[in-house]
Amino acid sequence: MKILIIEDNNELAQSMKYYLEGESYICECAYHYHEALERLSFNSYDCILLDIMLPDGNGLNILNYIKTEKINSGILIISAKNALDDKINGLEKGADDYITKPFHLPELHARLRAVYRRKKMDGYSEVKFNEIILNTDTYEVIIHTARLEVTQKEFELLLYFLVNKNRVLSKQSIANHLWGDYTDNLANFDFVYQHVKNLRKKIGAAHGNDYIETIYGLGYKFNALKYSVT
Amino acid sequence: MNLLNKISVWFIAIILLVTPVSMYISYTSIKKRLDNVEIERLKHVNIFVINQIKKGEDPAKTSQGLPISISLQSKKNIPSEPEVIHTCLENKGVSNNECKIQVNSYTKVDDKIYKISSYGYVSATQQIMSGMLVALFWKLLLITLIVFITARILSKFILKPFHHAISELQQFSIQKKERLQLSETSTKEFKKLNEFLETMTDKALEDYASVKEFSENASHEVQTPLAIIQSKIELLAETEINESQAILLTDIQNSIDKLSRINRSLILLTKLNNNEFLTNKELKFCTVEKEALCMYADHLALKNITLNRNCEKSVFIKIHPTLAEILLSNLLSNAIRHNLEGGKIEINLTHNYFQINNTGLPPHVPTQELFKRFKKSNQSQESIGLGLSIVKQICEVNDFAVHYDFADGWHSITVYFDNTNMHESSISERILTENPIAFEPVEQMINFAK
Repeated sequence: MKILIIEDNNELAQSMKYYLEGESYICECAYHYHEALERLSFNSYDCILLDIMLPDGNGLNILNYIKTEKINSGILIISAKNALDDKINGLEKGADDYITKPFHLPELHARLRAVYRRKKMDGYSEVKFNEIILNTDTYEVIIHTARLEVTQKEFELLLYFLVNKNRVLSKQSIANHLWGDYTDNLANFDFVYQHVKNLRKKIGAAHGNDYIETIYGLGYKFNALKYSVT
Repeated sequence: MNLLNKISVWFIAIILLVTPVSMYISYTSIKKRLDNVEIERLKHVNIFVINQIKKGEDPAKTSQGLPISISLQSKKNIPSEPEVIHTCLENKGVSNNECKIQVNSYTKVDDKIYKISSYGYVSATQQIMSGMLVALFWKLLLITLIVFITARILSKFILKPFHHAISELQQFSIQKKERLQLSETSTKEFKKLNEFLETMTDKALEDYASVKEFSENASHEVQTPLAIIQSKIELLAETEINESQAILLTDIQNSIDKLSRINRSLILLTKLNNNEFLTNKELKFCTVEKEALCMYADHLALKNITLNRNCEKSVFIKIHPTLAEILLSNLLSNAIRHNLEGGKIEINLTHNYFQINNTGLPPHVPTQELFKRFKKSNQSQESIGLGLSIVKQICEVNDFAVHYDFADGWHSITVYFDNTNMHESSISERILTENPIAFEPVEQMINFAK
């Protein structure tokens, strides 16, 4: 997957680039409005990460450019504004999703994958890993051909793990992913533990491998290398 | 009374004052005129008779049947000017409708002094007066009618720019960022008013934009460094670290989380103050409430909280969807956080109010104090103390009233949708009306989430 990161802040752009390159994506960064336009006119990208507020031009103008040039890339807006009108404007102008700063990198990645699935894989809604198959349309989990009964939250949790394989996922990041922005008043992460526990139990009962590890003090990790495929 | 009626009434009052004066003037002048005409005529008659006498003709021939009398006088000196005698007396055989005017002329022909007196009748004062009064009545009636009718018709044209300006102003909203456009007018006052309104609203828009820009920029400036710290910590967590480092990282992570929540909440409060969430659409509140409950199903289950829900169907409230979501989620998370392990939550939704009750420890501060920013009952580390002040602000924006009561171990927050139609439902009343049929266990709530 080829990604263009349009973000004026060098540090943040580097973080995103570093993280996404860890997923073996090809990432390019553009720090200015004109640089972004230049890159967009010469290369094609699968996904574009776009910061709405750029020092030398509004990010929304880039959206207009993408629309008029009929560039078929998935677009994920990154904004610090959290302003409702920007959100609506952005989505109306052809952006696929919206994430506000500060965000968790695994969350960014999960959103990016979701955009990519929707936009570039033409409705191909299966996420597959070894014996686990997730269908993002029907919310079905299949392990070794058998259907696994999971709640919506457990499904989302498993998908989050699968997208961010071999990454340390903090409890905050998981809570934020599952319950969104407005539930953040409840800084009680016990329920994350509860869900992870249930999910591991269910997968174990379906004779799936237990890939999810607890990383002491930090959170959880989906260790893809734990079991070699036979 | 509208402006035009006021002007019309004043106008008519002035007419009523001025008319009698003008009537008196016209009455006297008409009277004088009539008299003068008669006098002039009689004088001419006299001169004609004198000429006849001077020529030696018999005046009786011409004065026959006319009110002229000729007599010889023995007086020595005769007045050169004719005498005028007015008589308006009834008892002299003159009818009361008329006045007699007699003109006596003297002439000297052949040493004889002749007195020629002729007379005529003119209409009396009362007659003129009553005629004028009738005219006055009709005149005033006509003026009043026409003034009012034309005022009605003309107001549509004359006051059009004014009405247009008013309706434009009513529709003017600072959030829409649209300039006030007023129609052209030739009336000086309206021109002035329009100019003033336009500059004023332009200034307001400008100020609003700059304030908004500032707060947005400020939040942007804070959010970006936060995002950097957040991302760097996550990258750091990926590296080889030992346990004590991991714990340090988690502590940092928690603080960043809290900081970003505070920042986000403050931005939300600023936006609420700026009235950015205006809507005219009615929202199906019960659906939003159900969705919010689904979102917290896990939290309820985790704390082993029993939920008792008692809701009316199709409750439509005029509120922005985002605000409804934030309002409910703040109230719910508040009720869950401050609840006891294995406690209870009761939710009542009617067309008039939304009420959420939860069991919990007694608050340490007066309940209304808890709506203030950063005011916490137990200064718990977890909450940021902005939840209820956001609730309060949302209620203020939407003209809802909100009440917080504590009694018998129950916390009760009630949001009245209609500010004016508030009926206090006390906690004791609530327990009486408890409806066991409406009880929906948590498991069922989780089912809707699917």
